[in-house]
Amino acid sequence: MAETISNISLAGVTKRYGDVTALDRVSLVLDKNEYVSLLGPSGSGKTTLLRVIAGFERPDAGTVTVFGRDVTHLAPHKRGIGFVFQNFALFPHLSVYDNVAFGLANADTPPSADAIRRRVTEIVRLVGLAGLEGRDIGQISGGQRQRVALARTLVTEPRLILLDEPLGALDANLRMRMRDELRHIRERLGVTFLHVTGSETEALAMGDRVVVLDRGAIAQFASPEAIMNSPANPNVARFLNRYNVLSGKMRGDTFATAYGDLAYGKRIESRDAAYGVRYDRIAVVEETAPSAGVEIPVTFVASEYLGSAVMYFFEAADGHILEVEHHLGKGRMPEYRSRGKYKLQWKSEDSIVFG
Amino acid sequence: MAEHTDTAERTKNRTAYWLIAPGAVWMTLFLAVPILMIVYVSFWTQTTFKIEPILTLASWKQFFASETYIGSLFTTIRLWLIVLAATFVLGYPTALFVGLFVKSKTISTVLLVICVIPFWTSFLIRVLAWRPMLGKEGAINILLQKAGLISAPIEALLFSELSVVIGMTQIYVVFMVGPIAFMLSRIDRNIIEAARDLGASFWRIFFKIILPLSLPGVIVGAIFVSVMVLGEFATTAALSGRKVNLLGNIIVTQVGSLKWALASVVGVILTVIMGLVIAGFLRVVDLKKEL
Repeated sequence: MAETISNISLAGVTKRYGDVTALDRVSLVLDKNEYVSLLGPSGSGKTTLLRVIAGFERPDAGTVTVFGRDVTHLAPHKRGIGFVFQNFALFPHLSVYDNVAFGLANADTPPSADAIRRRVTEIVRLVGLAGLEGRDIGQISGGQRQRVALARTLVTEPRLILLDEPLGALDANLRMRMRDELRHIRERLGVTFLHVTGSETEALAMGDRVVVLDRGAIAQFASPEAIMNSPANPNVARFLNRYNVLSGKMRGDTFATAYGDLAYGKRIESRDAAYGVRYDRIAVVEETAPSAGVEIPVTFVASEYLGSAVMYFFEAADGHILEVEHHLGKGRMPEYRSRGKYKLQWKSEDSIVFG
Repeated sequence: MAEHTDTAERTKNRTAYWLIAPGAVWMTLFLAVPILMIVYVSFWTQTTFKIEPILTLASWKQFFASETYIGSLFTTIRLWLIVLAATFVLGYPTALFVGLFVKSKTISTVLLVICVIPFWTSFLIRVLAWRPMLGKEGAINILLQKAGLISAPIEALLFSELSVVIGMTQIYVVFMVGPIAFMLSRIDRNIIEAARDLGASFWRIFFKIILPLSLPGVIVGAIFVSVMVLGEFATTAALSGRKVNLLGNIIVTQVGSLKWALASVVGVILTVIMGLVIAGFLRVVDLKKEL
């Protein structure tokens, strides 16, 4: 955990609410000028972590350091950290311009009116709101509000911006466009973004690196590809929503499950034992087809059409549901008989085992 | 098809009219008609023993020629402004505490109910209860004397303008607290955190965010208090020892001696003042936007 003056670091940050430990000795170093996604299921402590970094909550233990300065006990606005709230928290009685100018106009030593106008105009243009300065908050769309929220914090020139599920309040279409937009804005400004999300696709798409938080502790902090290809433990694999995770235990060179001993490719050291195989690495064959690689017998249950792919759901002997993803680019959509008997097959090198 | 929708639409409209019918009838019979009647009667001819529907300006002239009546007009306005200011100064911090600083909804509801407890007794009892508190041998004077802070009792406490202001403020402050606390409780806490994160100090957050957002509550509270104080007569009757005469007291006296015409003049003047006050307050804030 090297602490240099060019990064933001947390060391042993712990936060308890009564008996509940929301954050358990979280240590983390964010580099200057990177986009980090913070992924975790609800209740994993991701919002608490963000609020501790912002200074809205005091940690019970540990320190928060921003560019070499210990800010653990500093007020939120003295930390050089911006915060974008989930519901945007715009000032409803002020115009777009006044919302963006708020942080400058109400600083302890505000800049001159001219300087404020120049800075606000520049930021408003940067986030693509030029021409809307005079509008009321009630007169602009959800996506525009999102930009106002971002502009309002950018104007104070923070070096780290915390975004609490910033796309959660937007509809699906807009969410896709704002993803791009957020990355572009960040690149142009060269600040660090820490983006909290409960969506694994959003986390992997947006982050240069991704932090996975599980029950108040960091489970993994790595690049999106590394997380996708080598999840640190079965829980991370489950969040990713791309792996069938089977329980069982190690037995020599194979992994013992309710469906027999399965051969595996990569092994990842982990306290919890599990077997993982990706949805898109599985082939479906008739029950009577010749054996090949690793296989387990299943019953077809249902399918879900996703546009570019189809998800098939199969039930194993013990009732566990396995998912298979078929990309439509690979060929036309196969049809399976309802409650029909099939086998799922995959190559052992496409699977990973935890334990 | 179109005809069908039309009929359905008309049925819906008719239902809507039935909904407001009782209210409309009530308001017409007991508000609109009486007000028109008062305006009409204020121009009637009043002699010592009877009143006749012969139109004259006599009562109006009598009102504006009398120093006593004009004096009570100004007393009414002065007392109204003082009580309005007092209820605001006392009520706003209370509302701020109840509506914003208390985080638990349960506790803030309990606190609001506590504010309403005095209403469990009748209005007159609440007013009269100030006599044993403020009197020459009342609780406050006894306490101050026992504490050695004063040697002789303060007589100005009761039967003075001060006692009227104290009495009215106590009775009406809750009407200020309620609407303000309601508006404050609707403010998204994230907004305040956002302002804090942007570097605004406590006072700036208060003046730039909290106060403007609670302004509709202040206006509604001020309208409640104003309407009630401007029409007051009981508190002054009970606590001023007849030294303070509001327009309301004049109406009571005139009605008592069957001077309907003059009572109507005062009634019209009072109604006009209230109308102006309410219109003035509504100009400050666009309540339509808040509802």
